Amino acid sequence: MPITIRHLSFTYSAGTPYEKKALENINLQINEGDFLGIIGHTGSGKSTFIQHINGLIKPQAGEIEIFDLKLTPEKRPKVNLKALRSSVGMVFQYPEYQLFADTVAKDVAFGPKNLGLPSEEVEKRVKQAIEMVGLDYEAVKDRAPFELSGGQKRRVAIAGIIAMQPKMLILDEPTAGLDPFGKEQILNLIKYLKTHCSPTIVVISHDIDEITRFANRIVVFNDSHIVYDEPMQQLFKHSRQLQKMGLDIPRAVKVVNSLRARGVDLGEDIVTAEDLIKAVVARYNEVHSTSLDENAGVFDMYDFSQKWLTTEERQMLEEESSSEEAPIDKSIKSSEVSEDSKK
Amino acid sequence: MAVVLENVTYSYNLDEMHRIDAVKNLSLRIKEGTFVALVGHNGSGKSTFAKLLNGLLLPTSGEVKIFGNSTLDGNKIYEIRKDVGMVFQNPDNQMIASIVEDDVAFGPENLGVEREEIKERVEWALSKVGMLEYRKHTPFKMSGGQKQRLAIAGVLAIKPKVLVLDESTAMLDPQGRSEVLKVAHELNREDGITVIHITHFMEEALDADRLIVMNDGQIAFDGKPREVFKHYEKLKEIKLAVPWETQMAISLKKVGLDMGSGIVNEEELVEKLCQLL
Repeated sequence: MPITIRHLSFTYSAGTPYEKKALENINLQINEGDFLGIIGHTGSGKSTFIQHINGLIKPQAGEIEIFDLKLTPEKRPKVNLKALRSSVGMVFQYPEYQLFADTVAKDVAFGPKNLGLPSEEVEKRVKQAIEMVGLDYEAVKDRAPFELSGGQKRRVAIAGIIAMQPKMLILDEPTAGLDPFGKEQILNLIKYLKTHCSPTIVVISHDIDEITRFANRIVVFNDSHIVYDEPMQQLFKHSRQLQKMGLDIPRAVKVVNSLRARGVDLGEDIVTAEDLIKAVVARYNEVHSTSLDENAGVFDMYDFSQKWLTTEERQMLEEESSSEEAPIDKSIKSSEVSEDSKK
Repeated sequence: MAVVLENVTYSYNLDEMHRIDAVKNLSLRIKEGTFVALVGHNGSGKSTFAKLLNGLLLPTSGEVKIFGNSTLDGNKIYEIRKDVGMVFQNPDNQMIASIVEDDVAFGPENLGVEREEIKERVEWALSKVGMLEYRKHTPFKMSGGQKQRLAIAGVLAIKPKVLVLDESTAMLDPQGRSEVLKVAHELNREDGITVIHITHFMEEALDADRLIVMNDGQIAFDGKPREVFKHYEKLKEIKLAVPWETQMAISLKKVGLDMGSGIVNEEELVEKLCQLL
């Protein structure tokens, strides 16, 4: 079991007038292979929670088991934090603010180097990680991270984490502040990482429509408690309660609820845009005796079908069919620099 | 005219050999009292545009005029900065005092406004953003939405005619975003303040009088939001999107449903689906 949390509680500034409870008796099990979404409004405790999983905050009460490590309030035995942080990769909000090295390759190498890996292994991992996030290794390795665009910088920051080959990845608001295209790229990257890098992924996001794109399970924090922990398709039976907590529900669920209020019931279990398209087309066929293809509907903003391949895979594909679009972000050339870098 | 840009180009010099035009030969007029939404992908030039408005950046060529005053005119720059208030993206970078009302008073104090008048302005500004009850609180423990509303109050205390929100909703949760947007619309409606709202969220542009889409340092579209969203293919090409409901209507249309055109929000989508189902 990757992570088991028992009776975890945490209070900020305990014993002072500013005392604030952040977590109260949290029990949660994160299983291998989970694609877990965490939601909750600002101040609900979710950030405090994930900082525990990464060993940034020591439990005040309760315990956390992470792979074979155990975090408890006791001072001894000391926990090997290096081992913890190499198995749980944490991508913070706006991770690009944390880039510091003068080249992309050096920045990505920082983590694996600190794990004490031999230099050839470090180099190999750096190359792999950079390509995994969809950047062209040869084009970016010697560039200053600050010359890249916002979305590219964020991908470099994520590469720095996956170069440590964590068994589990936690991403806090991974798409915040990006334009729609940059968001889509990151979402596709996360899906790709799930199958190719770390089998267990936890994502915290305010955008519920983003979470429902990939999560198979959603945990809801409210007022320092976990109030719901359900399979993604089940959670929105509690739409009304979620909205009362000030949380958004998926747009497809909103549409289904409004339609139901007007006498058109498309059924339960509709959460994503694709679900809605399918249900609407099925109902349309029923009413109009037509046979439109329910499965033909796609809700794609952009075509990313081959965006996340390694150079080798891409070359193979290119040889197979020269007409197809290249997957790697080719917008980086040594001669051009994005607008962001000059500020 | 509140804002006039005449053939404005702004170039960043990388080194002697390279330069980049972040804004290219841009001409534009914004009438007083308009609520303008400005969108564009990262690197399209919209933040450069914002900084040109109050002379934080000066045009490489061309001219920016705020109520007739050119940002190139050194004698007018303080007047321009009073007229154009800016609120930036990060709520944590814009607080300077440890008490809310001191923070709001900072601007007018620096302008040498009379003490009594400052008091009035602080009260007015805080009540405008719905934060009067927090006047004695510290800003540091507030939510992002509250901090951004406080940042707006700080700008309002200078009595600007134009309010520029440079991705001020980007770092907020949905609740914070709607709080800030509501305040911006009220200021526009009730006080006639010209608002220029720069955002990545297409649905935030829906209630604007005018939507300007920037791409590659130039204006790609400029019109009523509804009209602009009809060009969804082109918007996708320039790394933007349309509101979710519009995308849904397009997807259903592709399968063969007669969705008509021009759906931009939930109400319209539901209405159409009720007719069809």
